[in-house]
Amino acid sequence: MIGNDVVDLALARKESNWKRNGFLQKIFTNKEQFQIENAQDPEQKVWELWSRKEAAYKIWNRENMIRLFNPLQFECLTEASGLEKVSFENQFFFTKTIVSQESIQTIAVCQKSYFDNIIHHPNRSGIVKENGIPFLNNKSVSISNHGRFESIVSIL
Amino acid sequence: MNREAAVSKLKDIVKPYIKDQEAFENLTESTDFINDLKINSANLVDIVLDVEEVFGIEIDNVSMEKMTNVNAALEIIDTKLSEK
Repeated sequence: MIGNDVVDLALARKESNWKRNGFLQKIFTNKEQFQIENAQDPEQKVWELWSRKEAAYKIWNRENMIRLFNPLQFECLTEASGLEKVSFENQFFFTKTIVSQESIQTIAVCQKSYFDNIIHHPNRSGIVKENGIPFLNNKSVSISNHGRFESIVSIL
Repeated sequence: MNREAAVSKLKDIVKPYIKDQEAFENLTESTDFINDLKINSANLVDIVLDVEEVFGIEIDNVSMEKMTNVNAALEIIDTKLSEK
């Protein structure tokens, strides 16, 4: 399983005021809030952690076919080796995030080895939806779209 | 508060965040915030915070996780108001 999430930073700035009273507390654990407060670029850290939670949630949602809105329970962790994870209940998802000036993109997988077999698709051609989940040649695909950016990925 | 008044207040709250005007105009209790109104998931937090402010209630995390559609939001508002 794979999940991805892309954030257009210019649009995020327009759509959300992360400095709003109570906003961070509803989404981020105390440890995550500490990371945000101490980050060189707190805004970038907000959307980096958010996209990791979202990407991990997308896997969980597909595995369970349940909708939930509980970003606090998806906690971003970093192993001593630098490997990034998101935990939810007793499950771990592995995440890789690419940060640029304009966007933030996270890919989450449920097994580390999947990172070696990720395919990026340039467009939606050939993708069909079954029960709301996109597939390409019978393999599940994760599509994320925000503002100027779209990312379409699957596992080989 | 009756259901109609609560729906009307809730509509005012979600309006700034919707991306599908038609779905908003045809809003019913089964309308989904993300799938139907195309609200950005980060803005669901704003809706939760706005609901807390407007209705004078506190939405705990267990309640928040269900808040993905109009009906669930109304149930939570109703429950929290009755606990006041």
